[in-house]
This record gives sequence, structure tokens and C-alpha cells, in this order.
Amino acid sequence: MAFYEQHIHPKPTTFLSKYIFSYDHKVIGKQFLWYGILFLLVGGLMALMIRWTLAYPGQAFPIIGHFLFPETGGAVPPDTYAMLFTMHGTIMIFYAITPILIGAFGNFCIPLMLGARDMAFPLLNMLSFHLAALSGLILMASLFTPLGAAAGGWTSYPTLSTLIGSPGVGQTLWSLAIFVLGVSSTMGAVNYITTIITLRAPGMGYFDMPLTIWGLGLTAVLNAIFLPVLGAGVLLLIFDRVFGTTFFLAGAAATTGTGDPVLFQHVFWIFGHPEVYILILPAWGIVSDQLSFFARKPAFGAKATALSMTSITVLSTLVYGHHMFTTQMSPLLTQTFMTLTMTISIPSAIFFANWLGTIWKGSIRFHSPMLFSLGVVFVFGLGGLTGLYLGTVTTDLYLHDTYFVVGHFHYTMAASVLLGGFAATYFWMPKMFGTIMNEFWAKVHFWITMMGLNGVFFGMMLVGYGGMHRRIYNPFIYEFTQKLIPINTFTTWAAIVMGLAQIIFVINFVHAVFFKKEQASDNPWEVGTLEWTIPSPAPHYNFKDIPVVKCGPHEFGNPNLSGGKDYQYQTEELA
Amino acid sequence: MANKLTFMEMISPPEDISENGHLIDYLFNYTTTLNIFFFVLVCIGLFGFSFLYHRKRHPKAYYTYGNKRVHILVATVIGIAVFIGIDLNITRLSNNDYIGIFINWPDETKEDVVKVQVLGQQWAWNFRQAGVDGVFNTEDDLVTLNDLRVPAGKKVVFQILSKDVIHSLYFPNARRKTDAIPGRITRMWIQFNKPGNYDIACAEMCGTYHYRMKASLTVYEQENYDHWLAEAQQIHDAVNDPEDAGIYWGWKWAPNGKVNKVGMTK
Amino acid sequence: MSGTMVNQELKQDPAKARLSSSIAMIMALISFSMLFATLMLGYFAFRFTSEVWPPLGMERISLGIPTASTVVILLSSLLYLCFESKVSQKSLKSGRFYFTATFVLGCTFMIIQTLLWSKLKELGIFTGTSVFASMLYAFTWIHAAHVAGGIIALLFLIPTVSGTREHEASLSWVQNVGQYWHFLGIVWVIMYFSLFVF
Repeated sequence: MAFYEQHIHPKPTTFLSKYIFSYDHKVIGKQFLWYGILFLLVGGLMALMIRWTLAYPGQAFPIIGHFLFPETGGAVPPDTYAMLFTMHGTIMIFYAITPILIGAFGNFCIPLMLGARDMAFPLLNMLSFHLAALSGLILMASLFTPLGAAAGGWTSYPTLSTLIGSPGVGQTLWSLAIFVLGVSSTMGAVNYITTIITLRAPGMGYFDMPLTIWGLGLTAVLNAIFLPVLGAGVLLLIFDRVFGTTFFLAGAAATTGTGDPVLFQHVFWIFGHPEVYILILPAWGIVSDQLSFFARKPAFGAKATALSMTSITVLSTLVYGHHMFTTQMSPLLTQTFMTLTMTISIPSAIFFANWLGTIWKGSIRFHSPMLFSLGVVFVFGLGGLTGLYLGTVTTDLYLHDTYFVVGHFHYTMAASVLLGGFAATYFWMPKMFGTIMNEFWAKVHFWITMMGLNGVFFGMMLVGYGGMHRRIYNPFIYEFTQKLIPINTFTTWAAIVMGLAQIIFVINFVHAVFFKKEQASDNPWEVGTLEWTIPSPAPHYNFKDIPVVKCGPHEFGNPNLSGGKDYQYQTEELA
Repeated sequence: MANKLTFMEMISPPEDISENGHLIDYLFNYTTTLNIFFFVLVCIGLFGFSFLYHRKRHPKAYYTYGNKRVHILVATVIGIAVFIGIDLNITRLSNNDYIGIFINWPDETKEDVVKVQVLGQQWAWNFRQAGVDGVFNTEDDLVTLNDLRVPAGKKVVFQILSKDVIHSLYFPNARRKTDAIPGRITRMWIQFNKPGNYDIACAEMCGTYHYRMKASLTVYEQENYDHWLAEAQQIHDAVNDPEDAGIYWGWKWAPNGKVNKVGMTK
Repeated sequence: MSGTMVNQELKQDPAKARLSSSIAMIMALISFSMLFATLMLGYFAFRFTSEVWPPLGMERISLGIPTASTVVILLSSLLYLCFESKVSQKSLKSGRFYFTATFVLGCTFMIIQTLLWSKLKELGIFTGTSVFASMLYAFTWIHAAHVAGGIIALLFLIPTVSGTREHEASLSWVQNVGQYWHFLGIVWVIMYFSLFVF
């Protein structure tokens, strides 16, 4: 299958070539990991500031409030609040999840699991990271402009995001940062797809690839096709803001010609809906693999899971209109989008059944990666089902732009992806850095995070059901939201607990990376995929000899296994 | 502060005072029931299997790829059951409600409807009713700021526009919202049944003060409404200058749910 | 640890390596297509929901300059094809002529585009004149930016024409840059007919 064999390059020696301008996919993956974790913390802090304002409007934000907002006595002012939720969404989606799941684990895992020495295009890979870094700089720089950062929501609908609604340069910088990041991710996507097609080890058919690769590969396909759509959209927005074009201007904004603000929504969501699947597909793949690994039996219906993920990938391109039900598209279009949205239930339910089938009659080890994977099954089950209310037109007319939506997408995007990301980190730590993270604190981290997550996001769905709408600085000036104050306060405290629990993870992580003496064995999880056939941490050339694959990635409990092992390496041939 | 509410009261949606809001509440509860059913099944699997098949309790895993006919059948049946059981059902119900009621515009020649034009702006809601001559955008129109008053028991048809950015006219107590878009008129009809005073909010991010784009909905008994209308007209005429071009933000009313493309000059 | 074998077949076959970069280029072209397709979507949305076109009584630009652009870019693609065949035949000397011609025509295209933009301004058509004007400018700017990228890509073929690059690698480079170049020509033709002719 591999089209050619990549050379073994000499080991880099200088600091710059080892850590800054590295061509090694493993290093680039780690660069993305640090980058993503940093932005996760920034985005998380912003979330806490939002939650504080929602529970205690007008009160100073603890510890750093007086330093950040002296004019208002430490409380978050309304215009800053708008910047906070805008930047929180932007950062979490593009600068935390994308770098961690796709940039870090995509880069790290794909060549290793395929039996390749590196990505197909290492230079492109390095450029992809540096462009992402540049994008992050542009975005954070926008916070320090005179009128502040973008404040129109991460969806930046015109005409609020045009000059009339957002006069400052912050919105332009935001658009530029997104564009640059889009280029970076598209480069990465092309790299991943080419690598998966051309560098699979001999003997590895597509269905012999781990499901993690399926998830990452499908994500890359969606990225490559739909990021340019977003790119076009933000580019036209930049043109409206900087060069006087009129694409999205209407009403008071249209001083010369007029365009159509709703066109932006169409373009944005044509990208936006596949984007949410882009964010979740890697986690689905990782969970599908890990449930099998830790239940010590083959992934139930692995081929069906792979095909379900593929059909969801295809279907996700057809459903974007369900984000726009309140804009009054034609009834035919509205109904079509609703019906198509519903069809996604079928493949989702199938791979859910397969997940449960995998742990059915298994012999389950509850190591921390497995706990997190099981957590994903729970939160995604809940989150996915709440999507049904939003895909249905009439219930959406009530729930659109309320906290119900916020709860739904946090369950499916934040909770599921975060738990999946943690599962991945705990799992691949030995191969990445050569140590295992402390198992006791990992479990503590899991339980507190799980409870916190459910508290926060279920709380959001409750207040959303109560009618509380989104993106509001002080919800309690309305009569109908008065009774929701206690739930909001509860949600805030659950968020604070959840936020604090992440400190446990950070300490565990930093300790394992820099300070832990005890080295991990080559294959601590006793799993057969190709990355565990090489030493921990992986040597810079990955594979001394390109492996030849003899079986699938989930060979556990095969009766023909000998030697006391209950798993088979993908390179092993059984009698 | 309000008196202590039970948890169920705290999490229930605002009082539904509209004729058709209950359809949405019904569908929500219907979906919830089905969701709970399937989610409980998932949890039984998740927690049950985690318990039963713990390594200590079940040391040898059952070696199967899940690709035997029975396995495929079970997984497919589950997938189809979810789709038919939940999805198709709620789609059918929703479609019926949407086409049959929510976008089924009253025939203005046959029914007595109240017509209201709404202009959203940063950060307030302007409401316009036609006045005695029945024509919009004339001197005798009744224009109010953040103050919508309607009679109970009659269908109210809204034509909605925004002056600047996208807003969304949101009636929590009627379970409805419709975006107010610059350059394009959207529409909505609601029948309010219970007199009283309720909130109107903006449900689309529209700037710094989006959170306080609050208007008040007052539903009157018919006689009280007529009384208010007459009074309000007098006050309006006394307060507003008919020469002020700014108050003529209205447009020609397009009947029976059609809208003219006012403002789309491209 | 398991036993691994070195696969003898893997080591050779540069044709396969070339195919690998071709796959990448095709993916990249799909991405670029989506960018232009989105612009087209916007254009058609505006055009077919507008009662009168061009809007606001804007006059249409005469076909002289756009047609010149079309001729130039199509000719450059043709000459590039000749270049490609010369390279595969290993006759670099004649290849050099075709390469230079392509390069010159590429630059000519850019110059003609600047003429197009000045002509528009002369006619009083600026970005804000109407959404059609916005579309014309935006679309041609974005296309021109990609052509500029293509011209830079042509510079990467200098090692091929000067003979310092290995033949197999050259074939790969020439093929990939060619695919990108022809792609831009196709996009321009679609733009020509959609924006200028009809």
C-alpha cells in the first residue's frame, strides 16, 4: 500500500531545528498540543468571567477583576462581555479543539498508526503550525486595539460584523486571523489525506486502519472541502469592512449599494455545520478504538462504525439550514433541512450501538483513558439527543438562540471533545513523552470534570428550556428570567469547580512531561496498533524497518493467541 | 424576591399565553419522553456493562467482531428504531404544526386580524399600528416605543424589519421568535389569549446593549384595548410632530402573509 | 517485538512518489475550487434574486479587456502544455522557450487585470457602486492573487529549466504546477462567461 519508503533523516541537533522549526510530525504535534492547551486555558478563563457575570451581575470578578476592569470596580463591563463570549467561542473552536484533537493528535498519531516515518509533506506540516501560531497572535493582538476585539459573537453575522455594527479594527483582525487559520488547517488537511492514502504500511487496507485514523481522515476531508467556504465568507466580510464592497450590507449600513446579510449566514453555516462534525470525528474515532482496547475485545462492527462515520460526514454537508430556521427561508427549504437533519440519527445510533456492543461481554479495565472514553459515550448520548429538539423546526422556534442551544453544543462539542482529548492525552503520553501520567490523580480529574461538565451544561439546558436567551450581559432584567437565577448561580459554581479541577490535569501533565523519572514501557496499555511496536517515547525516525501489517487494529482475545498475551500486534501473524 | 418555587416550577418555561404555543410545549415533552426512553437504554448498557463486565467479574472477553448477521441486525434495528420512533414522529408532528398553523397566514379579507409593523433597532423595538384610516405609514398611525399592546383572542400579524443589524423579535410567553433583518421583511402571526403584562426580548446578538433590548407586551380584553387605542391615538398626536420624517419608517402592508421586497434596492 | 521486513518494492518507483504529490495537488485544487465556488454561489444568489441586473442601472463593461485576459490565460496554458511535453522528452532547450512564454503571458495577464480595474474606475464603477461591482472587484482580485501565486510557483521551476533538478523530480514539479496553472485558467473562463458575457 505505501507508495514509497521515506528516508530516515539524521536526528536534528540544534535547539531551533529540534523545537522551533522541526519537520518531525511528533514535534509539530507537541507544538500544537502546547499551543492548544494554552488557548484552552485562556478560553476557559474567559468562560469563567462570563459565568461570573451571569451569576453575579455587577460584582467584581475575583482576584483579577480590579486589575482588568478598574473603571467598573472590577466587574466585567457590557462591551467587554460581548468580546468575551465572542473570543471564548472562537478560541475554543479554532485555537483549542482544532489544535489539540486535529493538530496535535492528528499529527502525532497518523504516521505512527499507519507505519510511516513522517507525514507526506513535512515542510507543509511545519508551515501549517507556524501559520496557526501567526493566526493566534493576530487574534490575541485584536484584544489590545483601541476599540477592543471582535464582539459580534463567534458567528459574526453581518450587519453587526460590518463597519456599522463593529467599527473597530478588532473585527477585521478577527476575520484575518480566521482566514489565516483556515489556510493552516487546509494545509494540514491536504497533508493528512495524502499521508493516509499513500503511506499506509504494506498490508494495511483502509479497514485495517484504527478508527482513530478514520476519524482524523474524515475530519481532514471535511476541512479541506469546507474551510475554503468560510475563507471566502470572511474574505468578503473583510472586503466589506476595508474595501467598501457591499456584499452583506443592508438597511442603515448600505450607504451605496445593498447586499444580503443572510447570504453570510448561508455561507457561514455551509462551513459551520460540517465544522462541528470536524470537531467531533477525531474524538469518535479515538473512543471507538479505546473502548475496544480496554474491553479487550475487537471493536464491535468496526467496519460499520467506519462506514457510519463516513455517511455522517456526507450527510453533514446537507443539513446546515437548521441553524437558520428563524430567518424565514422558504417552507420547502425549511422542511427539507429538518428532514435531512433527522437522517443523521441513523448512522449515529448505529455506531452508538456498536460502542455498547464493544463493551458488552468484554473484560473491562478502567484505566483513565477508558473512563474518559466511557464519559464521552454518556455526554455525547445526552448531547446528541438534545440536538433533536433543535433540528425540529417548531421546537427550534422557541429554543433558537436560548441557552438550550448553548447547552446542546457544549455537551456535544465541549464535553465530548474535551473528554476525548483527555482520553487521548492520558493514552498517548507514554508514546509522546515516555512517561505515564499519575493514574490516581487522573481518576480524580475524571470524576470532578465529569460532574462539573454535567452540572454546567445541564444547567444551561434547563435555563434554556426556561426561555433564557443567549449572549446577554444581565439576563435578570426580564420578568421571565427571574426564577432562573438560582440555576444560573449553580451553573457558575459547577463551572468554577470544573475549572479548578483542570489544575489537577495541568500539574499531572507538566509533571509527567518534565519531571517524572519513571519511564514508561514500550506498550503499557498492551495494545496492538503500530505505534506500540516501537519504543516509548517514539524515536525520531519512528520505524527502523517499515512494518508489514498482518491483521486489524483490534485483535484482542483471539483464541489462537499464545504466550499469555490477549492481544496481537498488527505486524504479527498468528498460526 | 419571588416566593420560593419548587424545582419543577423553576425549570418550566414561561407561562404560555398564546393560542398555539402549547403545540410547541407538547412536541418538546413528546421528544423528551422518547429521548429519556432511549437514553435510559444507553445508560443501562453503559453502566450495566461496565458493572457486569469489569475485568474482575468477567476475566475473559467474548471474542467477536460484531459482524455476524445477528449483530448487524441488532445494530441496524436500533438505528432504524431511533429514526422511525423518534425522528420521523417528531418530524411529522412538527411539519403539521409548522405548515398547518405557524406559517398558515390568516386570510385578512375574511378574518379580523390586528396588524403590527415592527422595526428593530439598536437597542429598542418600535411598533406601528395603522390607525383609523387602516393604512400604514400615514399621519394617523400609532407608533410606540418598546410598548406593544394587543387585544386578547385575536390573531396578530407582524411584519418585521430591522433598521441596522439583525435582531430577533422574541415572545417567550408565546414560544415564538422571528429574526428582524435589515433589508428584508419577515413575518409572524400569533394569537395572544390571556390578558396581562409580559416580556418581549431580542434574541439575536445585536451589540453591546442587546441584553436590555426589552419591550413590554400588554394583552388587553377587547374593550380595554379599544379604549387604550383611542387614548393612545390622542396622546400620540399630541406628542409627535407629523412633519418629522423619522416617524414614517413604516411600509405598505402586504396582506395574507406576502411581503414586498421593501428596502431591497440592490 | 514483532518481526518486520523491509519491503523491496517500496524503495523504488518514483512514479508512485509523483502520484503522491498529484493526490495532494488534487486535494488542494478541490479546496481552491470551494473558495471560488462560494464566490460563484454568492454571485448567483445576488443575480437571480435581483429584479434588475445589473443593479442600480450600472452599465456593463465592454468585453474588450476581459476577452484579452481570456485569450492570454488560455494561451499561457497551451504553451505550458508544450513546455510539459518538452520536459518529459528531456529536451530542456526548447522547453525553456515555452516556459518563458508561459511566464511572460502570466505576467501579461496580471497587467491586463490592472487595466481592467482602471477601466472600471474610469467608468465610475467602484467597489461600493453596487453589489455587482463588489463582485467584479472581489472575484478578480482573488483570482489575480492566486495567479500571482501561480507565477511564484513558476519560479520554482527554474531549477528544472536550468537543468539542475533531477528528471523524476522535475516531472513531478512540472505536473503539479501545471495542474494549478490550468485550474486558474478554467476558473477564469467560468468567471469570464458568468460575470462579463452573460
